[in-house]
Amino acid sequence: MTATGKYLRIALGVAVIAALIIVPMNFNRYGLYILSQWAVMTIAAMGLNLTLGYAGQVSLAQGAFVGIGAYAAAIMTTQGGMPLIAALGVAIVLCFAIGWILGYPALRVQHHYLAFVTLAFSTLAFLVFRNEDWLTKGIYGISNIPRPNVLGFATNRPLPFYYFCLGSLALVSLAMWWLIRSPWGRAFVALRENPVRALSLGIDTRRYTLMAFAIGSALGGVAGTLYAPLTQYIDPVPFNLSLSLDLLMMVIVGGSGFFFGPFLGAMIAVLLPEWLRFTQGYYLMLYAVAVMLLLIYSPTGILGILDRYLAERRTKAASALRAVVKSRLETAP
Amino acid sequence: MKSGILAGVLLATVSAAAAFAQGGPIKLANVAELSGGGATVGNNWKNGIDLAIEEINAKGGLLGRKLEVTHADSQSNPGVARAQVQKALDNEPYVLLGPGYSGSVKVTAPLAAEAGIAQIMGGEAAELTQGGNKFLFRTSFGQQSSMPKVAKYINDELKAKSVAIVWVNNDFGKGGRDVITKEFAKYSIKVAADISTEAGQADFAADVSKIKAAAPDAVFVYVNEEESARMLKELKRQAITVPLMGETTLVGQKVVELAGEAANGARGHVGLTTDAPVDLVKAFREKFVKKYNYVPDHNGLKGYLAIYMIKATTEKMGKVDAKAFADNLHGLTIKAASEPGILMDATFDEKGDIDRQGFLVEIVDGKQVVKQVLPKLN
Repeated sequence: MTATGKYLRIALGVAVIAALIIVPMNFNRYGLYILSQWAVMTIAAMGLNLTLGYAGQVSLAQGAFVGIGAYAAAIMTTQGGMPLIAALGVAIVLCFAIGWILGYPALRVQHHYLAFVTLAFSTLAFLVFRNEDWLTKGIYGISNIPRPNVLGFATNRPLPFYYFCLGSLALVSLAMWWLIRSPWGRAFVALRENPVRALSLGIDTRRYTLMAFAIGSALGGVAGTLYAPLTQYIDPVPFNLSLSLDLLMMVIVGGSGFFFGPFLGAMIAVLLPEWLRFTQGYYLMLYAVAVMLLLIYSPTGILGILDRYLAERRTKAASALRAVVKSRLETAP
Repeated sequence: MKSGILAGVLLATVSAAAAFAQGGPIKLANVAELSGGGATVGNNWKNGIDLAIEEINAKGGLLGRKLEVTHADSQSNPGVARAQVQKALDNEPYVLLGPGYSGSVKVTAPLAAEAGIAQIMGGEAAELTQGGNKFLFRTSFGQQSSMPKVAKYINDELKAKSVAIVWVNNDFGKGGRDVITKEFAKYSIKVAADISTEAGQADFAADVSKIKAAAPDAVFVYVNEEESARMLKELKRQAITVPLMGETTLVGQKVVELAGEAANGARGHVGLTTDAPVDLVKAFREKFVKKYNYVPDHNGLKGYLAIYMIKATTEKMGKVDAKAFADNLHGLTIKAASEPGILMDATFDEKGDIDRQGFLVEIVDGKQVVKQVLPKLN
């Protein structure tokens, strides 16, 4: 990469971050709610991107982990009167542990078999949310979930809460950025590309598979602890299988295995249906068609298009260079 | 000369604009389950609203102003409902309509209350109006008013000492089951079997076997229409002969059509049904079928009534005042004689609950027969 290209990317990054901070200041409550939802879903999708995109394990349980996080937050902050940060800790530990255990089948089965195992877990979690009244209040749901105070600032109003979600997204992104550049991240990719070779290179594939599941699930839990105070009411319905499928779609549409894939994927999944609402009864159909067309055009998602374009340009530049060198060699005395 | 015409046109435009500002349409916002699990509920509700608005506008509108409604889809998801209600409230509607699912009502009611906008909704869960929200109104009986009537009937008329309860495991079914269980306890009626079923369940053989094993004096069925029909067929097949009691969803026309013979003998308490023996309701049903080509369920009625609640309240105030709306609807009695759109006399209490006459019906030879008219309380 050239130096100008690097500066261009940094400038673009700064511009996007500045826009995410400044532009919503004039938004109405609806706009802020949708943007907060985008930030929360991005975190959940980033977790799944780690499991699926980097480590190559298909999971249909991410929605269940969002649910576990949400219920942890709702129960602890309403019934226990504890701060959200405590709930966050519990959610992370709980989801990490359950994710680790759920990772064991991934050691034995792959692809669609693994998808079925995680699907079963997803259904199990939904039934627990719904039937264990004593803990989750069942189908009635939990209402009046308070929004937290962060560093002494109340986040009851929509704008501060949006900044809270955005800040959490920034922290998670930084951690993720570090993780996938660490030896662990490299090991995850090696695992996805060729497990046998990874094993022969001395990577403990067993441990890394479990780790990919556990960390990805923990991020689902983080998203859940933000989701509960965002809507301030939760019941089991939003955490059924369709959320897991939605998150899977976000990862694939954005570009699975790309760092910024979940950001774009969540944008498509959360914002596109809202933009299409002017078409009244047709908006969900148009949305479905748009997603299908995108995946037909580029099975690797939006960032796949960009990647393809960049790769082509590099190939062209390289072949041009080769041609020049070749002609020079031929004409050389 | 030319400038004179121009001035004239300008003046006309300006005065028209001024008139528009005064008599512009009254904006209503509806957020309902137009897709997802509650699509039947939401679309019936929406069609009822559209029908009522069309009628009122055809007759010159409300206080001379047209009514205008925007419909937003909650996808039957409370999170989405919250976003859509937020959006609707940002546009400052006169009154908010919907949602129909109790969970979605719970998540949106605080927002409407905070904005000081009245919310007329379709949820039936008992607790919705217990929280002291001054802006929330029902369009039908909450379970806290319908279930005691059912329990009383089971005790007084059926003289049952033990009852099997079959309910659908969502907020509607579970809400009803919890209220009636408490009512049964008051009469010391024993719950012989407590059977939870799934929405959309196809096979009830195992559930009915459990009922048979429990040998109750009566069965209380509280599931949706299609499932009610399947349940009735299975009860007939396994030759269960004890009285079958339910609510609106057990004795509707749709159930009779689907269950045929097996529906005979089923009884139920009905608050709001297109089968009600009331001329205005029959006329409503005809208008609805003419416009949409199908027979609405009680959600169609609810949507229709919601608009006439707005009409009657606004006419009482004599002005369009969103802030004073809720105060004026509390304690208001709307008589069908003066406002035919309300279909049956209705009173709204301080909590936003509705009081209206109800019916106890039985299916005899495939027809609903009203056995008892339960009068309005006040």
